[in-house]
Amino acid sequence: MQQSHKPQTPILDVRDLAISYETRYGDVPAVRDVSFDIQRGEAHSIVGESGCGKSTVAFGIVNFLGRNGRIVNGQILFQGQDLVGRSQEELRQVRGDRIAMVYQDPMQALNPSMRIGDQMAEVLVVHRMMPRARALDYCVTMLKRVQMPDPENVIRRYPHQLSGGQQQRVVIGMALLNDPALLIMDEPTTALDVTVEATVLDLISTLQREFDTAIMYISHNLGVVARVSSKVAVMYAGEIVERAAVSDVYLSPYHPYTQGLMRCVPRLGQSKRESFLYPIRGRVPSPKNLPPGCIFEPRCDYARDLCRQRRPELRPIKLGHWGRCHFAEEIVQMGWQPPEDFVAQYTAERSVDAAARPLLKVTHAQTFYPVASQKLIGGKKQFVRAVDDVSIEVRKGETLGIVGESGCGKSTLVKTIVGMEKPTSGDFEFMGFDIAMPVSKRKLELIQELQMVFQNPDSTLNPSFSVGYQIGRPLRRFQTVPRGQVEGEVMRLLDMMKLGGRYYNRLPRQLSGGEKQRVGIARAIAGRPEVVLCDEPVSALDVSVQAAVLNLLLEIQKEIDTTMIFIAHDLSVVRFFCDNIAVMYLGQIAEIGPAEAIYAPPYHPYTEALLSAVPIPDPRAEQKHIRLEGAVPSALNPPSGCRFHTRCPRKIGKICETETPPWRDAGNGHRIFCHIPLAELRQMDPVVTVRPGNRLGRQHA
Amino acid sequence: MLVKDYMTRHPLMAAPDMSLVEAQRFMGQNNIRHLPVVGDGKRLLGLVTRQSLLIDPGRLGSLNVWEIAGVLSGLKVKDVMIKAPNVITVSQDITIEEAARVMVERRIGCLPVVQDDVLVGIITEVDLLAHLMEMMATRHPGIRVTVRMPDVRGELAKLVAAIAAQGWGILACGGVAAPKAAGKWDAVLKMRDVTREEVIAALSQVEGHEIIDIRDA
Repeated sequence: MQQSHKPQTPILDVRDLAISYETRYGDVPAVRDVSFDIQRGEAHSIVGESGCGKSTVAFGIVNFLGRNGRIVNGQILFQGQDLVGRSQEELRQVRGDRIAMVYQDPMQALNPSMRIGDQMAEVLVVHRMMPRARALDYCVTMLKRVQMPDPENVIRRYPHQLSGGQQQRVVIGMALLNDPALLIMDEPTTALDVTVEATVLDLISTLQREFDTAIMYISHNLGVVARVSSKVAVMYAGEIVERAAVSDVYLSPYHPYTQGLMRCVPRLGQSKRESFLYPIRGRVPSPKNLPPGCIFEPRCDYARDLCRQRRPELRPIKLGHWGRCHFAEEIVQMGWQPPEDFVAQYTAERSVDAAARPLLKVTHAQTFYPVASQKLIGGKKQFVRAVDDVSIEVRKGETLGIVGESGCGKSTLVKTIVGMEKPTSGDFEFMGFDIAMPVSKRKLELIQELQMVFQNPDSTLNPSFSVGYQIGRPLRRFQTVPRGQVEGEVMRLLDMMKLGGRYYNRLPRQLSGGEKQRVGIARAIAGRPEVVLCDEPVSALDVSVQAAVLNLLLEIQKEIDTTMIFIAHDLSVVRFFCDNIAVMYLGQIAEIGPAEAIYAPPYHPYTEALLSAVPIPDPRAEQKHIRLEGAVPSALNPPSGCRFHTRCPRKIGKICETETPPWRDAGNGHRIFCHIPLAELRQMDPVVTVRPGNRLGRQHA
Repeated sequence: MLVKDYMTRHPLMAAPDMSLVEAQRFMGQNNIRHLPVVGDGKRLLGLVTRQSLLIDPGRLGSLNVWEIAGVLSGLKVKDVMIKAPNVITVSQDITIEEAARVMVERRIGCLPVVQDDVLVGIITEVDLLAHLMEMMATRHPGIRVTVRMPDVRGELAKLVAAIAAQGWGILACGGVAAPKAAGKWDAVLKMRDVTREEVIAALSQVEGHEIIDIRDA
């Protein structure tokens, strides 16, 4: 339907917005000079790395800046009326219930002690004075519209009885109860698994069309943004550096920061080579200490004198495309080539002797967690079957990636190998030694050879010891180097991590997330272990930092020839990184094989679904639309037969429910755990196809 | 083709305490002629139209200049709006022609669309004209032809069959009882990728039908 006869008053029109936080050290200008508008029924995204002011803009709009935050300049016109400088009561009247907000963590937005129905109905009873019974009816209708299965039942449940995806649906439904003109979503899918995220994103697009609601979508994930929105503003250090339609920003970015960002996002491209990451050097400047000229100048490869002296304005570069760069047109003309030595460095074949004895061999591993019986008297003890009959082999110098949704046993498997969990049964062999025992019973030499890098660097570093001391600790403990050389060795490791000696005496709180993770890696490799187990080492990091850390891991691996097991929840990260990939589902391996084989047919139906769920930051990419229903079933009582049968879109019949599937061998070590015959699996179409077009960064050449 | 498909959702609205001066500026700036007034929970309280903004001179006649200024600046939206029970509203599930009928009969230019007293949108005469435009596929170029036929069952089918026989598609179609010819029916059709001559040749074959107007549109 054509809508062009409608009056074009934007729902939200933000002009020259500046927001500061008062601190003991003076005002911190967190957001400066931000202007954008959102039309009726349009989805507009704001992307940027953490700390660049995305959420501050959102909080400024709804006036949740907190006691020390205030709008120092600019206008926020909501449906034609200015929201800045009004009293709370006036704001309530102007804004009323016409702006709704959805936050990252659905559990925090829901009251844990109230039933879903009561919480939702409250909105209507209070705002609209609707009778309770009618309000509940209305809530059921709304839950149906947000595609909640079995809504009559759901309204009687408590939030903890719903899965994360369902909780987020409730929150979105609740936000839509008052039919808001503007819905602000602050990273609504970041806490969800990829498969769940995909369904929630589909829902958002449907609702936006149906309700004609304008959406301001805040995200750090460029792939998600490409999927939900039509326009995007890229923020960097408190300013918008580029703003245009999604396809323009993704295919022909003008600002060097956007270009850099596009190059360091892991993507499911066509080939392995396309999935290389080129990190942006340096780090985001602190808002207290901004460069005098262009804010991106210190990290920009094209910086000139003018960039250091004069601050660029956000200016129209072409119709509907704004950029904040003095030389945008020239930079785009120049084009961009990946540095050749860079590619060569990471493509060089590592020598993995396929015939060699596996360094680490796990056969029929099981790790169960006992759970107290629900019954008062008697009752059998129950077990959460976190890892159930998993066999893997890793040869020296090889990298094995383990991928799967949360709760599928990836971490438990790795923790069992490293000795933090006690295996229930199975053989664990490492360099010929049996390691089926907890770490406390292992020999020191064995511990030294198996080290781990954890997901959250904050909780793994001791906040009260210096970086140098913490990296030195394994050196002293394992006596890797003589006592007198510990400090020198720590310095060498810091250099290797590209941190430098000046970090020796710093405390963890003085480091950024990426730096902490580097320290975590340095500590893991300090004892020169044979195997490093990485449990989602980059999930908590921003894309540009993530790229740098991943490349660093690659370099280390090349330099000291470590064997690695690398856990990730998303298939786009591990592609260029791993030799072999195992896809896990509910404690079992669904598919295992060489990295390239995983990304092409034949697929396990679960791998196919995972691949189709990954948001791709490329508007040209076309993905098959496969959505898994529901959440991963409980590992307490896994489904019979093939464990994936409850959610499998390709289920072939009764056999899937009753019999354990066979291993289908697709050759070259690629095995699929599925009832569907291999010939049929081979017939599948590839999940991701990229329409031929210009390659990123060279399109104007 | 229901009201909900053509109305403007999330219209601009005002609180009852908005001053008249501000409302006037607001409507002018945003180029709107109707401003729904809502209370808590977007319950419709009233409607301000351009007429409501005109102040009855009788009200001010007895006042001096200073008093006039005072009265004017003190006026609120709620003092001049058409109050809720008198505002004619429709539900979003009625057809667009039904909304048109209400507007024609009551001689009004705008209908707030409500559901349980809550304002969900607004539909104005412009929306209806837009609808007419869309129905006649105004944005798509093609041949627009008006055919007069006897007002007898099966006549339109003959016409459509003649078009189908040529393998043409119909972009838009409408019909009315012929305004000045009793017992006749006028059908308006729009087709694309055809020439005027082809249309004339094909439609003049139909017995009893007469092309009364044909043009490129």
